[in-house]
Amino acid sequence: MNQVIAAADGAWRVLLAGLLLGAGLPALFALGIRQLAAAHVPDTAGARWHPGLHRAAAYVSFAVVVLAVLLGLSYIVAHGFGYVITFDGIIPVVRPKK
Amino acid sequence: MTKRPYDASVTPEFILLGLVVLTALAFDFTNGFHDTANAMATSIATRALSPKAAVTLCAVLNLVGAFLSVEVALTVTNAVIRIQNPDGSPKPEFLANGGHDLLMIILCGLVGAIVWNLLTWLWGLPSSSSHALFGGLVGSTIAGLGPSAVKWTGDGTKLDGVIGKVLLPGLFSPVIAAIVAMTATWAVFRISSGVARAFLDSGFRWGQIGTASLVSLSHGTNDAQKTMGVITLALIASGAWHTTHDIPLWVKVACALAIALGTYIGGWRIIRTMGKGLVEISPPQGMAAESSSAAIILASSQLGFALSTTHVATGSIMGTGLGMKGGRVRWRVAARMLVAWLITLPSAGVVGALVWFLGDVTGPVVGPIAVFVLLCGLTMWMWLHSRHEPVHPGNVNDEWEAPQAPTEERVGV
Repeated sequence: MNQVIAAADGAWRVLLAGLLLGAGLPALFALGIRQLAAAHVPDTAGARWHPGLHRAAAYVSFAVVVLAVLLGLSYIVAHGFGYVITFDGIIPVVRPKK
Repeated sequence: MTKRPYDASVTPEFILLGLVVLTALAFDFTNGFHDTANAMATSIATRALSPKAAVTLCAVLNLVGAFLSVEVALTVTNAVIRIQNPDGSPKPEFLANGGHDLLMIILCGLVGAIVWNLLTWLWGLPSSSSHALFGGLVGSTIAGLGPSAVKWTGDGTKLDGVIGKVLLPGLFSPVIAAIVAMTATWAVFRISSGVARAFLDSGFRWGQIGTASLVSLSHGTNDAQKTMGVITLALIASGAWHTTHDIPLWVKVACALAIALGTYIGGWRIIRTMGKGLVEISPPQGMAAESSSAAIILASSQLGFALSTTHVATGSIMGTGLGMKGGRVRWRVAARMLVAWLITLPSAGVVGALVWFLGDVTGPVVGPIAVFVLLCGLTMWMWLHSRHEPVHPGNVNDEWEAPQAPTEERVGV
């Protein structure tokens, strides 16, 4: 029974992180694509159209996604070398395992 | 214990060690081609990458990943059986006769895992290679040492043993993955609705390739390490290697090459099931599924609740079918997969136990050879069977159901 509780405890954390990164980042990426498209074609007729703003928004979205992917990459590499990345102070820090 | 006919010679032990190493590399190879689909099925199905380009990219990243894993994963069997000390060294009671008992358990466990991997490949079903390995080891351990040598459950709230490391994560992972991928798909479609098709396709193409690459790389670092650990354990048990802090370079090179070669060969039957059979995938769905897989695999390993890549990838693909309006999951295919997952551990276990008995009956000298020959025979038989309905890069993306109208135009394969 203790094992089930421990597994459920791990599962909701993974679910939360998964939703944040696995669903949040693709959503952000889609937002970037939407903004990029809007920079080429006016979104709605009538309203003032600022292609530069759309483009900037698109690049900001993509930059966040790329940063997250790089973080994922550094995690894989660090893990392989026996290090872990901790987020104690929000800024990721690479430390030797345990 | 049976008395060996000629105690002075070390040859039978050397043969056994050689067979263990060969079999472990064969397992690593099947692990590679069984899991290509986890990373690349979506990119191949949506034609973000050509089949050949996809397996090549995946193989290279697996190779790189295998070399990135410098850490020694010697304690891999400790999750389910009790033949190693906590530091990874083999328990002293198995060290007689050049570690014969321990080597036989590993050999038979590997054979069980390979046979199950090949059988599920023949059926085109994704199934977890680590579950197969654990299943095989549990089976051969029950046969060789009895059920008490199996670690069924962990102490208290520390996740361990067959229940904590295999069964429970196996139950949770597809559900978690399906929820995340469903949410991702829903969000992506909602945000990108009304955007011109050309922007979507090229954008999500890059998104898919990026996320699939992350999954491939993390597969290389995790899975190749397991085989390296198993081979090094065998070397230590037979006295050919002495430290638990390092892995021989040739083991690392051989394992990296085996998993990369397996990945490159590509398990086309499984790629087809995951990319075309389960759900018809569009590029936004492919990206949503693969991001969900990558995020969950990395998060679960960071949070100490390691999940099987296969279960996560399959759950994600299923979820992406559920999250899209008009999306359809082929539940018959999903049900077949689910059954395969449920029986992976016991099936690989039964094979592992049966070959252990075969090895025991035929004696310590002939036994390992008999087991290995049986493995070769079964492999050959399954390979010949796969030739009846071959799946290859040319037909991996064909329509899942045969076209209804006979007049439908068929592009040459």
